[in-house]
Amino acid sequence: MTVAGAVGRTPVRPGRPKDEDPVTRRLRLTPWLFLAPALIVAVVFHVWPFLNTVVLSFTDARALGGGTFVGGDNYVRLAQDPSFWLATRNTLVYVAVVVPLLVLLPLLLAVLVQPQIRAMGFFRSVYYSPVVASMVVVGLIWTWMLASDGVVNQVLEAMRVIDGPLPFLTDSTLLLVSCMLVTVWKGLGYYMVVYLAALGNVSKEYHEAAQVDGASPARRFWSVTVPGVRATMFLVGLLSAIAAMKVFAEVYVMSYGSAGPGGQARTLVYTIREVGLGLGGEIGYASAMSLALFVLTIGFSAGYLRAQRAEAR
Amino acid sequence: MTPTRRRRATLPAIALLALSLTACGLSGSATSPEPDAASDQPAEVTGKITFSTLQLKPTFTEYIEGVIDDFEAEHPGTEVEWIDVPFEGAQEKIAADAAAGTLPDVINLNPNFAQPLEAEGIFLDLEQEVPDLRDAYVPGAWDTFQVPEQEGSFGFPWYLTSEVTMYNTAMFEQAGLDPETPPATFDELYAAAEQIASTSDGKVWGMHPALENRFLLDLAKEGVPLLSEDGTEWVFNTPEAVAHVERLTKAYQDGVFPPDSLTEDHTKETEAYQAGRVALFPSGPNFLTIVEENAPDIAKATGVGPQITGASDAANMSVMGLLVPKTTENKATALAFAEFMTNAENQLEFSKIVTIFPSVTEALQDPYFTDDSDGTVESHARRLSAEQLENARNLLPVQYDDRVKAAVVGKVQLAMKGELSAQEAMDQAVAEANAITGR
Repeated sequence: MTVAGAVGRTPVRPGRPKDEDPVTRRLRLTPWLFLAPALIVAVVFHVWPFLNTVVLSFTDARALGGGTFVGGDNYVRLAQDPSFWLATRNTLVYVAVVVPLLVLLPLLLAVLVQPQIRAMGFFRSVYYSPVVASMVVVGLIWTWMLASDGVVNQVLEAMRVIDGPLPFLTDSTLLLVSCMLVTVWKGLGYYMVVYLAALGNVSKEYHEAAQVDGASPARRFWSVTVPGVRATMFLVGLLSAIAAMKVFAEVYVMSYGSAGPGGQARTLVYTIREVGLGLGGEIGYASAMSLALFVLTIGFSAGYLRAQRAEAR
Repeated sequence: MTPTRRRRATLPAIALLALSLTACGLSGSATSPEPDAASDQPAEVTGKITFSTLQLKPTFTEYIEGVIDDFEAEHPGTEVEWIDVPFEGAQEKIAADAAAGTLPDVINLNPNFAQPLEAEGIFLDLEQEVPDLRDAYVPGAWDTFQVPEQEGSFGFPWYLTSEVTMYNTAMFEQAGLDPETPPATFDELYAAAEQIASTSDGKVWGMHPALENRFLLDLAKEGVPLLSEDGTEWVFNTPEAVAHVERLTKAYQDGVFPPDSLTEDHTKETEAYQAGRVALFPSGPNFLTIVEENAPDIAKATGVGPQITGASDAANMSVMGLLVPKTTENKATALAFAEFMTNAENQLEFSKIVTIFPSVTEALQDPYFTDDSDGTVESHARRLSAEQLENARNLLPVQYDDRVKAAVVGKVQLAMKGELSAQEAMDQAVAEANAITGR
């Protein structure tokens, strides 16, 4: 290469020689072509709506018209809105109750159905079946069962546990508890399958060694099984917490759209829907609420992952 | 990070942000239609239009397509494209279409869906476009498509319903009530419900409150002013309203209503009546057909009385309408089609398929609505309902949207559970309703 030749050349981006042949150029484009479908879907259905929500949260956009920039007014209103705080409290309680149950119960279930013996496939299918059912159908079935004259109340009354029917659907606290029950019941099968995969990786030798040392089944569960699937437990905890933060269908279906008397069993997603939907929907305010839910979810996830890393050390 | 790299990372972010700022319409309202897009419109009834209905497919496909065929035959050169929108999600679709200026040429809406769009000036004013037609329609129905403090009327009233009081005559008899005499006042209604519940050993309830469907309507019937005269403020926390909530609370706590009825909707009320669990069922006569299909025994025992109108003596009716947006590119055909769809002949034919009522006075004079000499409960309900329509109004203000309803009904539920006094419930309901409507 001569000096004169180098001086006359237009500067090019490093790693991309100007005179690269068409085959090299095509090879450079190939990964992007493969990535394009996924990238387009991600940008159109995730990144773009998210950015749009961020912008809308600073406007007074409504279903019809509006859209003027209002600064942080929506966030100030959010801080003073009792329904938002009630929804936040209910959502956090929901997470606090549902997540430990969804971390532990599917693990117990997975341990029960893990042995490769006859008919176990049937039980695995039965436990998994609620996962594939529609949440609306599941909600309606449980609404029927938990009604004042439903099966649950009839059984409890027959067993003389209660004197009169419990208001599962018309008492806000009991309604929330009922919804939690449905969430846990429906989620058991899904997380059970996740645990079954993890249990397969726990070496049988540990169990055999513990058995030789005289450890009881309970001791083996706590000292061998649980440490063996600890990473999966963290994953299940995180996934179930994110799902619980977004709880909506259970509350909506089981309260006939009312979130209980006075809307007192409302959750964040229920409230976002209520505020943002319809021709009078306040899209800007609902967007601010969505952002608050996003921050809550991200904050929780970050704290959770940090706790996991600390635990791992 | 080198400046080049930083720039490379920042540019797409700025581009995306700019894109989102442009897309969310910060530059102003997207719902203002072109004031008059009529200059290059065909003056005659010809060309293609789109027509949308609310959840009429597939039950009424044959009827709607028949009317469209008749219209196209009567006006050669016209073509009507019919779209049916399911009720669920309809508001969102309408809002999006209105914002984009792509509403159908003739659109079927109820007053609650229509009013926010009417207030934005989206629709043609029929008082100006077809002033002679007004007198043909039931006055209360025509007035439903008006906006408080705004001139004009924006919808052709289409089909109507008006509640009657259905009741189970066998249960009346068992409770020692006269099965031939339905309750005529609210006092009689609640007294009958209480007597039925108290004499049935908990097997049957008197009635279902269906709060989301009836609460505010019953206040209006009781003569409680719902809104201030200028329509800007809710004012229904009157002593009469408090007394009504106290009556509901007492009935709920005395077991006159089913325990789960507090949050249940009108669907559950229908189910309870069909299952023979409640004795009184104030509802549209169209539900008689549903009861007949699902519970023939209950239908046989059903008697029908007029709508209970309370102190105001005003009967309520529900109205559906057809509206033509200003953005239509074929105004003449759109108006002609809306008029054709709602004319006496076509509405009468529609009413014979399903228990609804025509909004045209001439059609209501037909013996189908005035003669109940065949002695069936259906023809009796039809006559009662049709008689009511002449003086009926849509008593529910269009401002009573889903959010206001949830706020108001929520407070009543708390009062019925004993967590709020009736006065507190009404005061809080008015405050919350005003906070929502005033925004």
